[in-house]
Amino acid sequence: MIYSWKKIVKHGIPLLTLTILIEIFAGQILQGKQESLLLFPVFLISIPVINSISGNIGSVLGARLASGLHVGYIKLSLKDKEMQDNLLISILIGLITYLILAIVIYFIALFGNLIEDIALIEFIAIIVLTGFFLICVVSFISVLTAFISFKRGLDPDDMVAPVVTTVGDIMGIVFLFTVIGLVGVGI
Amino acid sequence: MYAKEMVKQSLPLIVFCGLGAIVAGSTLGIMIDLLREIPGLIVVVPAIIAIRGNISTAFGSRLGSAYHLGIIGADNLWNEELKQNILGSLFLSLFVSVIIGFLAYASSFILGVYPNPFKLISIVILAGLISAIILNLLTIVIIYLVFKRGFDPDNITGPALATFGDIVTMLSLFGSAILVEVVL
Repeated sequence: MIYSWKKIVKHGIPLLTLTILIEIFAGQILQGKQESLLLFPVFLISIPVINSISGNIGSVLGARLASGLHVGYIKLSLKDKEMQDNLLISILIGLITYLILAIVIYFIALFGNLIEDIALIEFIAIIVLTGFFLICVVSFISVLTAFISFKRGLDPDDMVAPVVTTVGDIMGIVFLFTVIGLVGVGI
Repeated sequence: MYAKEMVKQSLPLIVFCGLGAIVAGSTLGIMIDLLREIPGLIVVVPAIIAIRGNISTAFGSRLGSAYHLGIIGADNLWNEELKQNILGSLFLSLFVSVIIGFLAYASSFILGVYPNPFKLISIVILAGLISAIILNLLTIVIIYLVFKRGFDPDNITGPALATFGDIVTMLSLFGSAILVEVVL
């Protein structure tokens, strides 16, 4: 037998505990903004979506970089053309996804009577701008994590996904409230 | 062209996962009254979603490796290896739920919000266990179907579990919060 429940628990706990600590921090930011979020539930709905997209894009980019590094067609340099192309395309895919899902969320919220005093254009601007900042940061962290772990002889496939999803969860919430403050919808 | 291929291959799946996240987000939107009545509940949301994703995708990817090693297969699914994996995933869920509940309570307390610790921790444990059981069952069903058709489980379990995971976790949290509100 190669698997034992004790080993699975023992190996899982350190990384999971670290993740929990960071995610609780994200949760406390939400609690600090709870009153505004309950007044504007459309942003409450958006939070899992903002985080899911950035996590997926960062993980896909990381997996592609890992394959490139393992096979050898991506070099360990920030000037590598192949890596830069991957980075740009990730940002592009992110922008398209945020645009599509912002429209879907807006109409779901409209249908459920959860929209108060926000125009479609305003909402799209907030989500796409948040998404743009977030994707830039997450993609950059994905590149750094892949490169650093590869350089140290660790498998980037194991490292990138947990790092980018956790960082993305925190930064997504921070950027959302920053952009809302910039655009100024009174939240 | 290369860029076009990349967009074509990954955009649909990422949009699809985003639609799953909208269902999870809408559950959060429906929970407004509960979030208002139970201080500290909103604190556990990012943690419980992230942890559930981590535990179930790791479970799925271990089963994928076990399949490639020839330890489990469509006609040899329910064996000791699978049972150990299920037990490990359940104990891990129980353990992290306790940590999430405790840290959410302690950090709120420090920041001057005073949740009911017993209520908050029981909601998190209940939600953690319910979602773990549902997602474990779902993983086994997905793995069985994937084996039967001869697909590579590594390509399928990750995105499938990430998408279902968010939804199942939020619904479990919603259900547990209502249950604990009614009982306690």
